[in-house]
Amino acid sequence: MRAGLAVGIASVIALCILGLFASDYLLEIATLVLIESIAVVGLGFLTGFAGRISLAQGALYGVGAYAAALLVTRTGLPPLVGLPVAIVAASVIGTALGTPAIRLSGLYFVMSTIGIQQILWILLMHWSSLTGGPQGVRGIPALSVGGFVLDTPARFYVAALIGAVASYLLARRVIASRFGLFLRAVSDDELASATAGVAVLRAKATALALSGGWAGAAGFLHAYYLRYVHPDMFTLDLSVVFLTMAMFGGYRSLEGMLLATVILGGASEYLRPFGQFRLVAYGGLLVLSMMFFPRGLLAVLPIRWRR
Amino acid sequence: MLAQLLVGGLGTGCIYALVGLGFTLVYRTMRMVNFAQGQVFMAGTFLGLFGAQQFGLPALPLLLLVAVISFAVGMLLERVVFRRLYASHEVFVVGAIGLGVMIENGFRIVYPEPLPFPKIFGAGVYHLHGAVFQKTYLWILIVTLVLVAALHVMFAYTRTGRALRAVASDGEIAATMGVNVQRAIGATFGLSFAIAAVAGVLIGPLYFVSPDLGDMVGLKAFSAAVLGGINSVVGTILGGLALGLMEALAAFYISTDYKDLLAFAILVLMLLVRPQGLLGRVVPVKV
Repeated sequence: MRAGLAVGIASVIALCILGLFASDYLLEIATLVLIESIAVVGLGFLTGFAGRISLAQGALYGVGAYAAALLVTRTGLPPLVGLPVAIVAASVIGTALGTPAIRLSGLYFVMSTIGIQQILWILLMHWSSLTGGPQGVRGIPALSVGGFVLDTPARFYVAALIGAVASYLLARRVIASRFGLFLRAVSDDELASATAGVAVLRAKATALALSGGWAGAAGFLHAYYLRYVHPDMFTLDLSVVFLTMAMFGGYRSLEGMLLATVILGGASEYLRPFGQFRLVAYGGLLVLSMMFFPRGLLAVLPIRWRR
Repeated sequence: MLAQLLVGGLGTGCIYALVGLGFTLVYRTMRMVNFAQGQVFMAGTFLGLFGAQQFGLPALPLLLLVAVISFAVGMLLERVVFRRLYASHEVFVVGAIGLGVMIENGFRIVYPEPLPFPKIFGAGVYHLHGAVFQKTYLWILIVTLVLVAALHVMFAYTRTGRALRAVASDGEIAATMGVNVQRAIGATFGLSFAIAAVAGVLIGPLYFVSPDLGDMVGLKAFSAAVLGGINSVVGTILGGLALGLMEALAAFYISTDYKDLLAFAILVLMLLVRPQGLLGRVVPVKV
């Protein structure tokens, strides 16, 4: 635990130093990875802890991004108001669509989340009067916090870093709580935990709400990071990437999920030498990671290193 | 107009049925969903394109050749890739999707632009009760019927078919009865690849073909399989036809924008109300 704390503080310091010295280009990639890590940690509540695999996280991320973008461009309210709105929107929609399905057994739930992902994406694309349809939403202003405008890559990077650290710490608290214990019990054995007095459905619905909320927060940052949103940013492909990050990281390990987000989120950059074969190599990375690390990256480390 | 819609819907429905059968065959045997199925379908289209352009093969030999090659590729991929993904259904889902990404982008390197597909089934049109449709539709219908009949005969009357069904209902027991389970699973993947690839060739002449052809078709065929019952062969075929017809009607009478929504709304609703599908049987779970 103490070693873990040291590693955590060291990596935050390293990330701060990166913010001071790295090129704008590197910072933009790092910012995106930090934002994605929030959505992945959110998905972790479902995959790692509730034992339910969702392929709709990309769409909920999109719901958060659109909520933030539409609020500021249509009403002109201050950007920060968008954060709670994005969180609530993604959480409510995720819970409303997911709760009826969450009682389904594992694979059937995955299937239904694919349906939910596609439905949300089609609505973003075709409900033009609300979402702007295939034009997307342009003209999102820069994020500003009380007069301080986050208009350079370095400044936004700091905001993303704060967001990612907050999401990680908050998620740790949730998992260490009594509710986190319920979730782990449910994913180990639903029937046994029900007989021990865990309200299984309520625990799983809460996990859905949390994972949607995290996706919404990440979507909020995404909208202000690119200052433009388009339905094609939030396709099934993105959901697959999020799910892979959450699974590849390791069973019930937030740290593993963060590591996997860095590895897969940075993939588009370090696979550049593959040239036109980049996306083929990326698909290969997904397949190979599942073939050889079905229990996640950190599962190959010896037990004593994992604590 | 209605006749026109029905012909179009039936054609699309046959394609959903065939691609959906690929999902069903693998699901019945492995309790896994192979989400690379849509990309296998697309690969079939391009294999057909290659065969027709390079060797000028006529329709029937081309369909046979594509089926044989895809069967072999399916067996090979089962041995090399899928076999290592059986750890759990989520590992399989992500692994299969990753494989789909590889296939799709591999073809994109070779065929970056949408291409016209040669009219291998003839360029003429038929007239029927005021509907005008290309010869391709008749081929789609006939080939689908022949394939379904052949599958039925194989599953019902041949030794191999019985072995496959035995493995689907219980692999362990089948193994004790002397069935080569590994080979049966390989053959199941081979069959599912072959059927989807043939569907890919069938649909080719109707469209400009591009490597993202399989994305939507794959997911919709999957919805069709769930609609009819993903562990029922008959259910999947009927589900495919029903979805094709409903889409054609919805596109005309409701809205083309929301036509795609229908398949996924059906998918979610079916899973909530009747996850085993219209014709599927409930498999009791022991606690």
